[in-house]
Formats: sequence, C-alpha cells, structure tokens
Amino acid sequence: MTDKIRGAGIGLRSPHYQHILIYKPAIPWFEVLSDNYFCSGGQPLDYLEKVRQNYPVTLHGVGMSLGSTDPLNLDYLTRLKDLAARIEPATISDHLAWISIGGHYLHDLLPLPYTEEALTTLTERITQAQEFLGQRILIENPSAYLLFTHSTMTEWEFISALTKKADCYLLLDVNNLHVGAVNHGYDSLEYLDALEPSRVKEIHLAGYEEKEDYLLDTHGYPVHAPVWQLYQEALKRFGPVPTLIEWDTDIPPFEIMMAEANKAGAYMEEVCLGEGRKGEEGRWS
Amino acid sequence: MELKGLQQLFYQAMITKDADSIEALSQKIAGAKSLTPEAGLEVYRGSVIGGLTKGLISIYPVCCRLVGEEFFNATAVSYIHRFPSLSPDIGDYGAEFADFLAHFPPAAQLPYLPDVARLEWYWEQVFKGEDNKYLDIQALGAVNQEKWNDLIFSLPKNSVFFTSPYPIHRIWEVNQPDYEGSEEVSLSEGGVKIFLWRKGYDMRLELPNDEEWELLQAFAAQESFGNICGRFTNQSPPIDVPSLLPLFVQRGWIAGFSL
Repeated sequence: MTDKIRGAGIGLRSPHYQHILIYKPAIPWFEVLSDNYFCSGGQPLDYLEKVRQNYPVTLHGVGMSLGSTDPLNLDYLTRLKDLAARIEPATISDHLAWISIGGHYLHDLLPLPYTEEALTTLTERITQAQEFLGQRILIENPSAYLLFTHSTMTEWEFISALTKKADCYLLLDVNNLHVGAVNHGYDSLEYLDALEPSRVKEIHLAGYEEKEDYLLDTHGYPVHAPVWQLYQEALKRFGPVPTLIEWDTDIPPFEIMMAEANKAGAYMEEVCLGEGRKGEEGRWS
Repeated sequence: MELKGLQQLFYQAMITKDADSIEALSQKIAGAKSLTPEAGLEVYRGSVIGGLTKGLISIYPVCCRLVGEEFFNATAVSYIHRFPSLSPDIGDYGAEFADFLAHFPPAAQLPYLPDVARLEWYWEQVFKGEDNKYLDIQALGAVNQEKWNDLIFSLPKNSVFFTSPYPIHRIWEVNQPDYEGSEEVSLSEGGVKIFLWRKGYDMRLELPNDEEWELLQAFAAQESFGNICGRFTNQSPPIDVPSLLPLFVQRGWIAGFSL
C-alpha cells in the first residue's frame, strides 16, 4: 500500500481546490485531513473526489485518539473506513496522542507518558484499529511541550517499541522531532538513529513559531533551516521516503507550497542519489 | 500514576483550569526549555481552548462579528465549560450554542443572537449534508390522474425550515464578507419564515410567504395530495394548491413523490 506514493506531496487545503482542479499542478500526491470529509455530501467531498481522479491521496486524521484509555470510537472508525472505501487512499495515518477521556473530546493532540502501560494501551488500540480498517496505519510522532517525569522510556525508544509491537508504520514528522529536541534538549540524531528504517513510510515537514521560551508547532511558516538540515539526515538514514509539506494556518498561495515541495524533492534527489541510496530507477519523482 | 487517572487530571486542567488538578499534574511533568510545568500545561490549554473556539467561530462567523472577537472568545470559554465535545469530529461541536446564548445573560442585549446562531448552525448542517435528489418529472407525469389524490410529495431531504420573530435573514445578509450596501437593519422589519436547502452545491435561503409556508409544512408532514387540496380549499382564506404546486416544482422545493 505504501508504494502508491512517491516524492514530495502537499497537504490539500480548501483555498487551493480551484487552483489544483484548473491547473493540475505537477505534484505527485496530496494528503487530506480525513476528519474534514466525514460529511455525507456537499462540495468539499466533491472537490476531494475530483482531486482524487488525478492524484494519489493519503488520509491523515486527528480523531482516533489512539493513546486514550477510553474504548476506541467505532463510529469514528466506521466513518474513516467509509471515506477510505470512497477515496481509496494510499495510506491512513493518525497520531501518537490522545484527544479524549470519559467520552469527552479535547480536539488537541495531547501528550503521553512513555511507560509500559501506555505502550500496551497503544499497541492494543492500534492493533484493533488496523484490524477494523483492514490495513496497517502510520503513527505520527508528537510535538512536545512537556514531558512526564515518570516515563521509563525516551520518545524514540517508545516509538521503536510501538511500531514493532503493533506492527504499524511511522509517519516521521521532522518538524515535530526538531521542536521536541529543542524544547527538551535531546539529540535529534540519536532519535533518528534509533528508528527502524523499514518502519518509516512517510515524512512530514512544516514550519514552527519561535516563542520566548520554546518552539511552538503551528504549521504556519515555511520549513525552517534546521528542519531542512534534519530532513537531510533523515533521508540519509531512511532513503527517499514520501514527504509532505504541511501548512495549516496563514495558508499561502499554492505556488509557495509547491516551491517547498520542490525543495523537498530536490533534497531527496541530492541526498539519496548522492549517497548512492537510490533504489530502482525513477523511484521518486 | 495510571494512565486513566493522568488523562482525567489533564482534562480537568484543560477545561476547568482546576487548581488541584494542575497542582497534582505539575508534580509529574517537566516543561519545555525554561517553561515551568504550569506554563507547559498552559501551552496545551491554550491550544485546546483555542482549537474549540476556532471551531465555533468557523460555524458561527456572523455571531462572532456581531459581538466582537473578544466577547465571542469569552462566550466560547463559558460554552466549552458547560458543553463538552462528545464527538471526535470537531465539525459536530456547537449544536447547543444557540440555546446556550438564549440563556447567557451577557448576551441578553442582543435578543436576536440565538436565532442568528440557529441559522448559522442549520446553514453548516445543510452545507455538508447529504446531496439532494431531483424530482423525476417524467415519472410524475406518468402517474394516472386517478392516483393523484394519493400522492405524497417530499421536500429536499437535506433542508430545514424555521421561524424567528427577528429579521435574522437581513442581519445574516449584511454581515456576510462580500456584502455591499447599508448594514443598517431595523428590528421593526419583523420576523421571518425561512426555508433553507441546497440545490446542487448552491445554498438556498428562501423566504416563503404564508401560503407557501403552510403548504411546505403539509408536504413535510407527508399528507396526501388529496388531503392537502381538500383541507386548503375549505379553509379561510383558501389556498390554491394546484397553482402553487408547479411553482414549488420549478423552484426545486419538491424532490420526490410516493404512492
């Protein structure tokens, strides 16, 4: 399933629908926020189906609440499965986070302690979700603004163990990794080195905001230089993994998004070809 | 600390800003860089409350414009405390906002605000709702005249009708981003009956007159055509259903029929 996308894609956002449908830009794939298309009809769903006619699409969600201690929300999973049947996405992904407790939803990606209990909880829930959806899913590493002092593992140890135990894939958000590394003073290269390359099936790139005391992941800026540097390190280790440019606030004209995607594509070519890591001919475009 | 207890504490810290929960959590966390644990929690709280408020503003932009962003944000915080989100889809959040505003003392000076909110909620539901089907005119034409009294006409499935004692359609209209003209609306313009539906992907806000309104209600109640004609002919003043029906069909207000 994960071989259906290659190269650097862009997050599909409503201000760009018309541009994409009219000009059919040379973008290898788009990622959509699944939750925005759980409607039973209407124009946004029509736009998505039209985009899908011309491009591969991945589904990226925020509502599975995989880290919650609540039962999995089967209504949500059903809506996701129905959308997947309609769109036939290359991949389905969500986050290493929880958003709900006691049936109440906070709609934000909240942090987890990295403990054996959390590992067991997530493993069970990811396994259940994968069985329900009939496919392996990708889990995205979080942006961290606090750490739990009773954690018994680092974030990268937790993710490595989780992807193995749950037999899922990793959506490596390089921006999140950088934000967490700066905020908590850990070594981002040590983080990358700990990850199993065969589990890394997608990379996200985005811009953060520099606050006085910390970095905030806002997805509202171009990708920052340190993230581009870290991205190249990731490419050296994992090869030309399909990469996505995410932009969620102050969304710029499509051309700017495309320039960012082209930059990612150029790094893929430069780093992976230069490092002699290219696989079969034309593996990325 | 067990994960469930931790998440319950976190929830209290986010939504109610409960001091005991924040204190208990702060013993368990280290904030980013030079942030204190409390400041680290506040980063998440800002994101949680900000996200829910943003969700409400996206559904209720006219209400936000009417009261101003500062007032709306404060109102949203009160609403979020009282009505937790019960769905993983943030697009489902805010169904009770109109009723909440009706009993929210700080908004009492704007008595029309709850009905404007109701209009915005219905607009959102119709906008993203099921695609409406079109009336099969040929099939209707093929119905034997003798059967017409038994016909039950149906309105577009994805439609809503409601009333307000205030001219909320005008308040809504002058507060649209692309509106040009005088923004003055007098409450003395009176109330309104609204039929909201979608033709294809075009939203339609219709203002039926009294006769049309009665007929819409009868169709919505699934009364047979014969009953409707009989009842409306005998009432005072009578309503000429046979001449209104083609108008309804032409407008797209009739989406189907059954026998």
